[in-house]
Amino acid sequence: MQYLANPTRFLKLANAVLPFVWAIAVALLILGLYGALATAPADYQQGETVRIMYVHVPAAWMALFVYVVMALASAVAIIFRHPLADAAAKTAAPIGAVFCFLSLATGSLWGQPMWGTWWQWGDARLTSMFVLLLLYIGYIAIWAAIDEPHRAAMIARVVALVGVINIPIIKFSVDWWNTLHQPASVFRMDGPSIAPSMLWPLLVMGLAYSFLFLALHLTSIRAEIAARKIRQIQIAEIGER
Amino acid sequence: MDFSDKHIEFILASYALSFLLICGLTIYVIVRDRRLRAEAERLDKLRRKENT
Repeated sequence: MQYLANPTRFLKLANAVLPFVWAIAVALLILGLYGALATAPADYQQGETVRIMYVHVPAAWMALFVYVVMALASAVAIIFRHPLADAAAKTAAPIGAVFCFLSLATGSLWGQPMWGTWWQWGDARLTSMFVLLLLYIGYIAIWAAIDEPHRAAMIARVVALVGVINIPIIKFSVDWWNTLHQPASVFRMDGPSIAPSMLWPLLVMGLAYSFLFLALHLTSIRAEIAARKIRQIQIAEIGER
Repeated sequence: MDFSDKHIEFILASYALSFLLICGLTIYVIVRDRRLRAEAERLDKLRRKENT
C-alpha cells in the first residue's frame, strides 16, 4: 500500500494493468450473462422472473463492497495520510452510488411481480439500502459543494466512516427483523441454499461486477491525479502573476 | 429463456436499465479520464515551454 501511495508508481501500475482488468471484466460479463439468460433454469415458484437476481444481487453486493472500500480509504487517509487515499475514496463514491441505485431499481422491478408492490418503507432491507444511497449522495455532495479540497476531504472522511455503521445493518437486517425481503441465500454460515445451476452465473456476475468496479475505479483515480495536476499548475500560475 | 413469460417486461427492464447505467458510467469515466489527462499534459507542456 505504501508503494502505491506514490502517484507516479500508481500511474505506472494502473496503466499496465488496466487493459487486462477491462478485458477480464468484459469476458466475465459475457460469460455471466450467458449463464444468467441461457443456461440457468427458471425458478419453480418465480418462473423466469428469477433472472432479475443475476443483475440485482451483484449490484447490491457491489453497493456494500464499494462503501467499505470508501470507508477503508478514508481511514487510511486519516491514519497514514497517504496522498491517494482520499482520491480512492472520492472516486469510489459515484461508482458505488450507481450500483446502489441499480440494486434498488432492479429490486423494485423484481418486487412488483413477486410481492405485488414496487416499494415497502416498513422493510428494513429496502430502507437501509435507501439510506446507503443517501449516504453516497451526501458524500458526493460534500466534495462538490466545498471548494477547498483539504476541508472537503476532512468532512468526507468523517461521513464515510460514520456511514459504514449502515453496512452490517443492511447485511443482517433480514435476520434481525421480519422483512418482506428474503433472507441471505449465498453468504450463509451453512453454505449457499441456491442450486449450483443458478449459483455459478450469479457468482460469475458478481466477479464481473467486481472487475468492472476495479477497472472504473483505477481509471477514475488516474483521472483524479490528472485533475490534481491541473489544479497545481493553475495555482502555480496564479502565484507567479 | 421463455420470452412468453407473463413478467417478461420486468425482466427486460431490469437488464436494459443495468446495461444503460453501467454503459453510461463507463463512458463517463473513460471520457473524463481522457479529457483530464489531455488537459494536464497540455498545461504541463505549455509550462515547460514558458520556463525554457
